[in-house]
Parts: sequence; structure tokens; C-alpha cells
Amino acid sequence: MKLLAGGFICAALALAQTGETRADWPHYGGQQSAWRYSALDQINRSNVSKLSAAWAFQTGKIDGGLQSTPIVVDGVMYLAAAWNRVFALDAVTGAPLWHYFYQNPREIGILYSPWNRGVAVDGGRVFMGTLDNHVVALDQKTGRELWNVTVENMQQCGCNITGAPLVVKDKVIVGVTGGDSAHRGYLTAFDAKTGRKVWRFWTIPGPGEKGHDTWLGDSWKAGGGSTWMTGSYDPELNLVYWGVGNAAADFYGEARKGSNLYTDSIIALDPETGTLKWYYQEIPHDVWDFDGAYECVLFDAPVKGTMRKLLLNVNKGGYAFVVDRTNGEFISAWPVAENITWIKGVNEKGELVGRNEPPVGKPTIICPSIGGGRQWNHGAYSPRTGWFYTTGIEWCQEVTVQKEEPKEGRNFFGGVFQLRPAQKGPSGGHMDAYDPVTGKKFWSYPSKYPLLASAVATAGDLIFTGDPEGNFFALDAKTGAKLWNFQTGSGNRGSPITYSVKGRQYVAVPSGWGSALAGLLPQLWPETEDFPPGSTLYVFALPEGTP
Amino acid sequence: MILAAALMMAQSAAAPATIARGETIFAQTCSVGYCHGAAGTAARGPRLRGRTFPREYLDRVVADGIPNSAMPGWKDRLKPDDMRAVVEYVVSLATATEAAPPANPMPPGVGPATLPNFNGPRLAERGHSAFFDATRDNCGICHAMGGRGNAIGPDLAKIAEKSPRDVVAAVGSVKAQHVLTATLADGETFPALQFAQNGGQIQLFDLTVIPPVLRTFNRAEVTSLRANPSWAHRDVAKIYTAAELGDIAVYLRWAATGK
Repeated sequence: MKLLAGGFICAALALAQTGETRADWPHYGGQQSAWRYSALDQINRSNVSKLSAAWAFQTGKIDGGLQSTPIVVDGVMYLAAAWNRVFALDAVTGAPLWHYFYQNPREIGILYSPWNRGVAVDGGRVFMGTLDNHVVALDQKTGRELWNVTVENMQQCGCNITGAPLVVKDKVIVGVTGGDSAHRGYLTAFDAKTGRKVWRFWTIPGPGEKGHDTWLGDSWKAGGGSTWMTGSYDPELNLVYWGVGNAAADFYGEARKGSNLYTDSIIALDPETGTLKWYYQEIPHDVWDFDGAYECVLFDAPVKGTMRKLLLNVNKGGYAFVVDRTNGEFISAWPVAENITWIKGVNEKGELVGRNEPPVGKPTIICPSIGGGRQWNHGAYSPRTGWFYTTGIEWCQEVTVQKEEPKEGRNFFGGVFQLRPAQKGPSGGHMDAYDPVTGKKFWSYPSKYPLLASAVATAGDLIFTGDPEGNFFALDAKTGAKLWNFQTGSGNRGSPITYSVKGRQYVAVPSGWGSALAGLLPQLWPETEDFPPGSTLYVFALPEGTP
Repeated sequence: MILAAALMMAQSAAAPATIARGETIFAQTCSVGYCHGAAGTAARGPRLRGRTFPREYLDRVVADGIPNSAMPGWKDRLKPDDMRAVVEYVVSLATATEAAPPANPMPPGVGPATLPNFNGPRLAERGHSAFFDATRDNCGICHAMGGRGNAIGPDLAKIAEKSPRDVVAAVGSVKAQHVLTATLADGETFPALQFAQNGGQIQLFDLTVIPPVLRTFNRAEVTSLRANPSWAHRDVAKIYTAAELGDIAVYLRWAATGK
């Protein structure tokens, strides 16, 4: 009986802990709960100072930098680089096993390029979305192309794919960019074996569908709602979660009066059919380009004494929203940046209070800037501390709203902007530790420049992340103290991971400046114009025999 | 000597009105989003302010774009005069100070003159829109026309002279000409169009659902390829109304014959 009870507890624990990775880094967000947390603790607070480079890999093309999350399965790393180049590498030595260079058209001519943020690996196949809006499947062993399907004509939709796909059972679910284009967003699921389309969920309801009346006239046809990052999956609830981006035109909202569902919303879908199960809209009628497209972190925590299944999503407006992931019920919202002037706050019902909507034609200062109170680069959740680690950015912008008509396939911003310094304190960035439910801040690590790299948390109580100057570093997960630093030679804009092969733990980080945001930084920090681009993956380990 | 000096003057000093028009177009076309920043300060695209570029280079890049980059060509989207105005404006930025200029407020409702997406006759425009209508499974997913769409299925210029009723009939009649049944070693079968065969590999478009999928196999994985006379094209009458099919017929005729 005692033994049985023990077994039951173990099973329950195992179920609750599915968010952590161990030897492999199998999915974009670590596991599909997007924790970016590893149970590996060989590298820890007491020995991280000895961490040394094991190998480096140059992708050979620096335009677009290196923004991806490497995937590691059974000692092989699958690395996606800009221009849809995929490399399979021996994860111990860095030796190349195969590579695949997708043949993009000569003219891309689209805003959302040429970077790529990752592949998905599952069932003997490697899946990638492309700069010209295709999805390809490759043989995991050889890199040979197995199938290739056009999602939608790139010129027509002004959209493409830079985010990593999400594989759920036998389906590959892929989002699209295009939130700043005259475009109607969607998620599409393809059969993993054949590439056949299984379903499409339009993030803007069509005529006759519920929510269609939240759009004025024909504005739904070009209303944005892109799905440019990667979603999450809860196998127990069998729900796919995805963050939906801003409404278009970004700044000019007169032509799309209404709440504009399902832009800036978290959507929960049935993976078999793409049917909407629930949604939660964080920003009704967005006129600031404050996407809700970032990661959905799935975790369980007590709320007022009751254990709840929760979902956390930080949006570009600089607010973390926490909802019940079984039904979308609002739990809490809290800021990750100090400089927030587009609203006064969020009330206890989750409603935005004191909206500051810039008028047409009049230059208006809004904080944060279009770059966000946080960029897309992902936070990490550690079940050991129970804290969420995320960056925040302090900066503002002067935006001038312009009336604009949608033109098929073209940018659709409805305004122009220019970065302006923070109004409260210095401009710059910080990495912080929060209680994910209440937003209580435990520590803050300041940075001269916005931090634009993702974080990874480990059971060694370490947080790894990097900065625009090329520093890749480890912080103490409990205090925020910097314990180790390595200069990678180019700004960090990707997502570090950790994995182990034959009992040895490794930490890998993409180093490579060059992105839309990197291009905007000189407006506030002129010296960053000369920050060197790059595209290198660095891998670190403790010297053999380190205690 | 005087003539040469006058010519040089003319080259370096475009009419202020042209530069102003270029500024307007630049603000709404080139500054937007993450591209060249307000007044060319810097963004995802390179800084243009305070830099000197050869005019011929600017002409070429604005018209044709830069291959393998995010810079598109504008010759199909802007009128030649507007492209020239943008170039004049960018040339004028060479002597601009690097200090951030004031944001460029545009009077509401003022926009650049751009070509419409479709520059054929109004009669054909409705058919063009229906042909490429992204809100449903449209013709352009499988057929190229006027430089758009995907050339997977047959060239529809051949049925351009037909009436709407005959267009529907023609769609039904082309089915058996090229469609095959592919059988794989694992037993899977699907309707296919052969795309390419090279080395030990064969590429087939899988027509099971829309959009078709280009699948690549080692030759040994495909055990047979047989004619598939029973394959049926999607019933276009279920996708489009009779009126829309009429519009599409008009568009096809215009696209194929210019009439």
C-alpha cells in the first residue's frame, strides 16, 4: 500500500513536470509548454565560472543574424539559420552531418526576412517554414526534402514564415507573419507525412462567423492578426495555444472600429480540427502595434490558495497576462517595463484602463516603442524557484498616425514612428525575476542596451542569456548576480539552450546581430549602427573532471 | 563650360517640389515599419541620411530592388515619376545632418500615388479578384495567370476564348490528360502530376487536397504511376457563383489575349 502510494505520487510528479527538458532539447520552447527550463544541473552556481567553449559553428551567411532555437535529439543538433539554411551537427563535436539550403526566390522583398527562428523535429522529419511562405519537410537522417507546400502566395499576402512550426501528434502547425501587411492572418495545420493541408484557422472571423462583427466594413480582409511565433500544447487538455499579433493597419484604427477579434488574443484550438475552444483578448482594438504573439507559457500555480492550470503571455505593450488555460478566464496582468503610457493600467477584470490613443496627424509620444516593452525573445520559467524570468525594455517613440488604405500584399502601418528616450529612468533593458501570478519582482539585472536574446533556466539555478554587445552570461536564478560571462563577438538575438550527451551537459547560444530591431537601435544609440553582424553558434561545457 | 556647369547644377538640384513629393512618398513607402526609418535615419534597412549614393545606383535599386534581400523593386508599384522623386529626395539627404529630424507628420488623407494592384480593364478586374481570392480555395493556387499564381495545373490561356459555361465544361474535361495515380511502396496511393525526375529521385504534386503538395521520393519508393482518368477537378461551381465564373472568363480572355 505504501509502495503503491509512492508510485502514485511519482506518476503525478512526472505529469506535473513535463515542462522540463533533460538530455534532449526536443522542441522550440524546450518542451511544448514553453518553459525553456532544463532539469540538468551538472553546470550550476558553484562551478559555472569554469564553463569553457567546446566548439563553435559558423553558418557562413551573416545577413539576418542568427535568431533561432537549436533543437537537439539523440546527440544531433538541428540548427536553422537565416535564409532557410538548416544544419545537422554532431552535438558533441560540432561536426556537420548534413545541410539543406532552401532555394528562395531571387527577390524576397518582404519586411519579415531573412531570418528564421527554428525548425521542428519529430517522427524522423525536420519541418521548416520559409521566407517565401512554403513549409518543407526534410528527412531527419539525410536532410533530403520530402515535401514542400505553398501556404499562400507571398506577394499576395505580404506574409511569410520565420517562426518554428509546432508538431502535435501527426500534424505540423505553422503560423505566418504579416501583421504589418494588408493581410488576414491564420494558422494552418499540415499532415506531417504527406504535407496535405488538414485545417486552417483564420485569426479574423469571416462573414457569418462569430466575432466578424468586431470589424468595420471590409477591414477584416486586411486586418492583420498574424501568428508569427510558435504556440504551445497541453497534451492533457489536448489544446493548442497560440498568441495572435496586432491588428492592421498598426496605428490607424478608424477604418476598423470594433474590438477586432482575434487580434492580440490568446487562442486555444482543438489540434485535430482547428476549432476555437476559447480565446482571451488582451488588447481590444490595438492602435499601437502591441502584438500578443509571443510565447504561451503553460504552468500550474496556486491562485488564492487553489492550484490552477495557467497560461502566461507577455505582449509587446509590456504586460504579462495570466489566464486559466482550461477556459481562458482572466487571472492577472502585470507590467514588465516601467515606461508604459499607452494605458494607465489593467483592472481586476483584465480591462485596459486609460487608453492613450494617438490622434491622426499629430506626433504623439507613446511608451514603450514599437519594439515593445519586451521583444519576442522568450522568457523562462523555473519550477525550482517558481519564478518567471523575462526581459523588459525602457524606451518610447514618437508616432504619427496616418490614414492609409490597404493595398494587397503591401505594408499597412498607418503611420510612422521614431524612437525616443525613456521618460522614466534611463533607456535600456533589464532581465528580471517575477512571481508569474502576482508580478512581484525579486531581482533585476540592468543592461545599457535592450536585452534582445531569450533566456534558458536550469536546475543548476542558472539563467543564461545574452546582450547586444555580444556578451553571453549566466545569472544566479535566485539573486540575479552575474556568475560568468563570455564575449561571443556579435550581439545575441537568438535563444540559448542546454542539453547533454553521454552524461556531459552543454550550453549552446546563437550569436549574430542583425534583425529589424537591431536596425532600429541606432535611432537611440548611434554607436550600435557599427555593432558587428555575425552568425555563429557557440557551445560550452565544463572541462572534463570538473566537480 | 557654362553649359557643363549648368548641366551639373541641373543634376544636383532637382526642383524643390519634386524633392518634397519624394519626401511624401518616402514617408509612406520607405520609412514605414522597420525599413529605412523616418527621413532615412536608420532601421532594418541601411541609413540613407548623410550618405552619398550614385544616382544610377539609386535608380536601379529603387526600380529593381536588391536580389536576395528585403529590398523590393518598386517599378511595378510606383509610377516612374514617383520613383524619380524618391531618388531625388534620397539624393537630397546626402547633405542632411545626421541628427534625428522631426518626425514627418503627413496631413491626413494624403498618400502617394501608386499603381492599382490590377491595371487591366474594369470588366476584367472582378474576375482577377475572384481568380486570386485568398479567402477561399482559388484558381491561382494551382494555375498561373498574368505572372501570378502557381503553374501546377494546365495553362488556362488555352480556354480563354470560351464562355463561362464552356469554361466550367473545360475545367471538367482537362482532368484525365495529365493526372496519374501514384502508388508508393508502403501502399499509399494518391492522384499526382509529375513535376520532375532527376537522378534517383522523382517529384510529384500530390493533388489530394488544395493546395497540392510537391513530394520528393527515391525512385524505388514509387512502385507505379498509372493514368488516372477518374480524377475530378474541384467543382468550380461550388467555389464560385455563376456570375463570378462569368467574370473569371472575362479576366482569362483579357489576360490571354489582351482583349
